[in-house]
Amino acid sequence: MLLRSFAVQGSWNYRTLIGTGMAFVLAPALRHLHGADGPRLREATGRHAELFNAHPYLATLAAGAIARLEADGAPPELIGRFKAAVRGSLGSLGDRLVWLVWRPTTALLMVALLLAGLPWWLAVSAFVASYNALHLWLRVWGLRTGLREGLQVARALREAPFERIGERASDVGAFLSGFAAVLAVGSGGRNGWDYFALGLVALVAGVMLGPRVRMVAGIGLTALLIAGVVLASNS
Amino acid sequence: MIPDPLTLALLSLLGGLLALDATSLGQLMLSRPLVAAGLAGIVAGNPAAGIATGLLLEALHLAVLPVGASRYPEAGPAAVAAAGAFAGSTDSPVALMACVVFSMAWGWVGGRTVEALRRANARLAVPAPGPLDPAAVERLHLRALALDAARGTLLTLAGLLLLGTLLETLGWIPFREQWTRPALALSAAGALASALRLFGRRRLPLFAVGAVAGALVLWLR
Repeated sequence: MLLRSFAVQGSWNYRTLIGTGMAFVLAPALRHLHGADGPRLREATGRHAELFNAHPYLATLAAGAIARLEADGAPPELIGRFKAAVRGSLGSLGDRLVWLVWRPTTALLMVALLLAGLPWWLAVSAFVASYNALHLWLRVWGLRTGLREGLQVARALREAPFERIGERASDVGAFLSGFAAVLAVGSGGRNGWDYFALGLVALVAGVMLGPRVRMVAGIGLTALLIAGVVLASNS
Repeated sequence: MIPDPLTLALLSLLGGLLALDATSLGQLMLSRPLVAAGLAGIVAGNPAAGIATGLLLEALHLAVLPVGASRYPEAGPAAVAAAGAFAGSTDSPVALMACVVFSMAWGWVGGRTVEALRRANARLAVPAPGPLDPAAVERLHLRALALDAARGTLLTLAGLLLLGTLLETLGWIPFREQWTRPALALSAAGALASALRLFGRRRLPLFAVGAVAGALVLWLR
C-alpha cells in the first residue's frame, strides 16, 4: 500500500478526483482481507473507487484507516461517512503544510545555495533530501497511524506537530527569500548604485505583488525581447 | 537549436518521466525547474546552460501552488524543453531570455494539457458504479499513468522543436545584449522576494535579515 500510494494521483480526474487511485492503493489490502469472498471483494473495491480527495502525501492516513475499518468489519455506511469526513481536512492540511510552506522553503534553500556558489548537484541534493524527508515521513506516518487508529485518526492529526513545523519552516523560508533575492540581484553582472537601486525596486515590487510577480515578469521579459527584435531590425 | 535525434529522444523521455513526477507518480519534486533543467542540460551535454535556465525558471515558478483543482502551469516538461534547446544554442543572454519566456508560456500550455487529460480520465479511468474487480481498477489506473507519460513526452518534444526553431531564427538578429542579463537577474530577484507572501508579511523582519545577510555575502565576494 505504501508503494502504491506514490501513484495515488495517477488517474486524477474531474469526476471522482483520486477515487480510482484510492481503490488502486487499497487493492492489496482488500485482496488480503476479502480475497476468499469474491462478491465482497468486488463490492468493497467498487465502493472505494468512488469520489475521494486528499493531499497525496496524507492519502496514506485515509488508506490505512479504511483498511483498518475493513479489517474490523465496519459497515460500509460508516466507512463512507468516515471518508467524507476526512477528505476535506486531509486536503487543506497537506496543502497548507506542504505546498504553501515546505516546498517553497526547501526550493528557496536550493536556489540560495546555488546563488551562494555551491555546485548544482549539492544544492539539488540538499533540496531533494530536505523536501523528501518530510514527504516520506508523512506517507509512512500516515499509513502507520491510519492502520493503528482507524476511526480515531482525527485525534492523531490534532496531536501531530504540523502547526509547529509550518511555523518554523515559514521563518526559515522568509529569511531565505530575502537572502536569495539579494544574491539574485548580485548575479546581474552590474555594479553601481543605479543598478542596486533597481534591485531594491525589484525586491519591493516582489513583496508587494506576491505571486502576481510571475505574470508581471513574464510580460516584462516578453516586451523586452520584442523591443530587442524591433530595435535590432531597425538598426 | 534543435538537438540531434538521439538527444531529442532522450530529452523527450526525460520530460515524460518528469511530467509523471509532478502529479501522477512519486511527487519527489524532481520535476522542479532547477532540477529538471539541470538534468536536461546534462543530457544535452551542457550542464551550465541547464542550470542557468533552471535557476531563472525556479525563481519564477516558486509561488505557483498546485492546490486542489486549481489551474496552474506545469514546470517540468517546459523546463526540459527550455534547457535542452538553450544547451545547443549560442550562449547569449538573449537566447536565455527567449528560453525563459518560452518556457513560461509552454508551462501554461502544459497546464492546459493536464486539464485535458483530467477531463479524459473522467471518461477513461473512472469505472462504472457498482461491484468491481481490483484488477480492472489497476488496469484503468495504469492506463491513465501511461497516458500522462505520453502527454509529457509529446509536450517536451513539441517544445524542443518549437523553441529550437525560434532560437535558430533569433540567431540571425543582431541584438544589443547589455540589458538582458540585468533584466533576467532583476526578474528573478522580484520573484524570489515574492515568496515572502507565502510565509506571511508579518515575517518581513526575517526577510530583511536575510536580505542583509545576502548583501553581506555579495560585499565579501
